[in-house]
Amino acid sequence: MPALLSKSLRDYRWTLIGWTIGISAFFGLYLSIYPSIVRNPEVYGPAALAKFPGAMRDLMGGMSDFTSGVGFLQTVVYQLIGPMLLISCATILGNRAIAQPEEDGTLELTLTLPVDRRRLLLARFAGLVLGLLVIAAITFLLVWGLAAAGGMEVAGSRILAGHTGVFLLALCCGTLGLAVGAATGRKMYASAVVGVVALGGYVVETIGRSVDAISWLGWISPFHYYLDGQPIQQGFPVVDYLVLLTATAVLALTAVLAFDRRDVGV
Amino acid sequence: MRCMTAVVETEGLTKFYGDRRGLEDLDLEIRLGEVFGYLGPNGAGKTTTIRLLLDVIRPTRGRMTVLGVDPRDARVRGRIGYLPGELALAGREKASEYLSFLAAARGGVPRERIAELADRLDADLSVRMGKLSKGNKQKIGLIQAFMHEPEFLILDEPTSGLDPLLQQEFLAMVREVRTAGRTVLMSSHVLAEVEHASDRVGIVRDGRLVAVEDVAALREKAVRKVEFHFDAPVPREEFEGLPGVRELRVEGASVRCTIDGRPDALIKAAARHTVVHMVSAEPDLEEIFLTYYGDEETRHARAAVEEPA
Ligand SMILES: Nc1ncnc2c1ncn2[C@@H]1O[C@H](COP(=O)(O)OP(=O)(O)OP(=O)(O)O)[C@@H](O)[C@H]1O
Ligand SMILES: [Mg+2]
Repeated sequence: MPALLSKSLRDYRWTLIGWTIGISAFFGLYLSIYPSIVRNPEVYGPAALAKFPGAMRDLMGGMSDFTSGVGFLQTVVYQLIGPMLLISCATILGNRAIAQPEEDGTLELTLTLPVDRRRLLLARFAGLVLGLLVIAAITFLLVWGLAAAGGMEVAGSRILAGHTGVFLLALCCGTLGLAVGAATGRKMYASAVVGVVALGGYVVETIGRSVDAISWLGWISPFHYYLDGQPIQQGFPVVDYLVLLTATAVLALTAVLAFDRRDVGV
Repeated sequence: MRCMTAVVETEGLTKFYGDRRGLEDLDLEIRLGEVFGYLGPNGAGKTTTIRLLLDVIRPTRGRMTVLGVDPRDARVRGRIGYLPGELALAGREKASEYLSFLAAARGGVPRERIAELADRLDADLSVRMGKLSKGNKQKIGLIQAFMHEPEFLILDEPTSGLDPLLQQEFLAMVREVRTAGRTVLMSSHVLAEVEHASDRVGIVRDGRLVAVEDVAALREKAVRKVEFHFDAPVPREEFEGLPGVRELRVEGASVRCTIDGRPDALIKAAARHTVVHMVSAEPDLEEIFLTYYGDEETRHARAAVEEPA
């Protein structure tokens, strides 16, 4: 493995380990309560959930049937919490690529290696892709295993489709953070931009759908290209996922160009 | 291949940070095989110059070549070793792992070479980088700058944080590099730190290069403060008007003055009495600025304050 890439992975290592454990623990805890939910339909069934206000249900992706495996998995893992956890992790990794080493001063020495800046940035980006892939793969296996063990009766291919979407969404947001960090050298800007885009995008894609004033914003929300196709229910929304991939590529390219032309550490 | 006598050549090199001037109109030449001391007070523009040469920051205007090429070409950095002035080492990585990474990114450095340098500087490579003391960070910085035996070493305040013994060891390393015909640029606040290893020094102040001098010539010009204490009061007349002696103060059994150039006449005058104690301060850079490179008014003002009328 090239030195720069393995160094990137080493820089990301502790973040990756920490978040893998954290996300796994979270998923493990919530998915293991599924059997008890199935046994109490009067508390969690469609009739009970209908009592929640409409906007609240929109925000949680409908919450139509908590007692079916698909509905439970969607609401607990794939609607909001799973994507947000992975997006947070991706943002931290994206910051570790450029902005953090720039802020703590360690980037200067790396820049004075006989390595083109563009290659350095691509190596950091490749580290982000690989790191997220590892965490996505591990958490996929966990969800898949727990879904099977808990008798949720959701096809593995659907879980794979949902998990792929979460991975692509998180990668897109992480790359956005990386690009802002590469252009400005500031962690705070990167985190703020990703925060606004992720939270705003989620709200626009859920509650916003029924609010005419903002519903047209849907196409700009990264969540649109994950949630709209309902991967857990419908399988891979190929075109939507390609949009996420393309956006990621464009952001990575922007990061390369922006980083290549500016002063570092000022 | 390429005809090269200048390792660094800059022309009108200028850097503004927004409105703030970092460096203005620098014309600098560093010759092949020399050790060039780059001197200046805080905020003078030393680090700015060095970061420009390494393409960490980009000039506002002006032109430069390093080892004959534009520093935008990343390959040239393979021939350079760099010690940053504000060296930051952080994280849980061990120093040895970090050095291995830098070595690999530079296309490989023999393990023994790193071990030998670590041994020489008495550096412990098993410590996590975030836990290194200032001096130990500096040692790691020096190891990575020297390890690949670069043609050109750029060292920004290399001796900061090193104890006197290590400063000596470092200066020995610099001399070896020069003997091998390689080139060094090192910055410092004080002449004393670099004069024993440098061939030439450049003095930068307020973003401008005010002088480039041979070290030998500079030392001739340097003003040093001298103090003599005698066993009995001495007459002022004997010390007045001696060549190079200025700011003379005679108080009872002590004589204080500054000496410019050769101290011979002063020493001989003092030798006529019994000297019990003598202090000769290293010439300080500020003194040279004030004496030779403009700022005449400040000098006169200072002289007026120090010299009792
Ligand atoms: N990132 C920056 N933003 C704004 N001004 C800067 C920046 N870096 C340096 N400067 C300014 O440029 C001038 C030169 O700074 P530089 O760091 O090159 O000085 P220096 O000679 O290395 O000083 P020192 O001995 O303190 O290291 C100073 O006035 C400084 O305030
Ligand atoms: Mg400096």
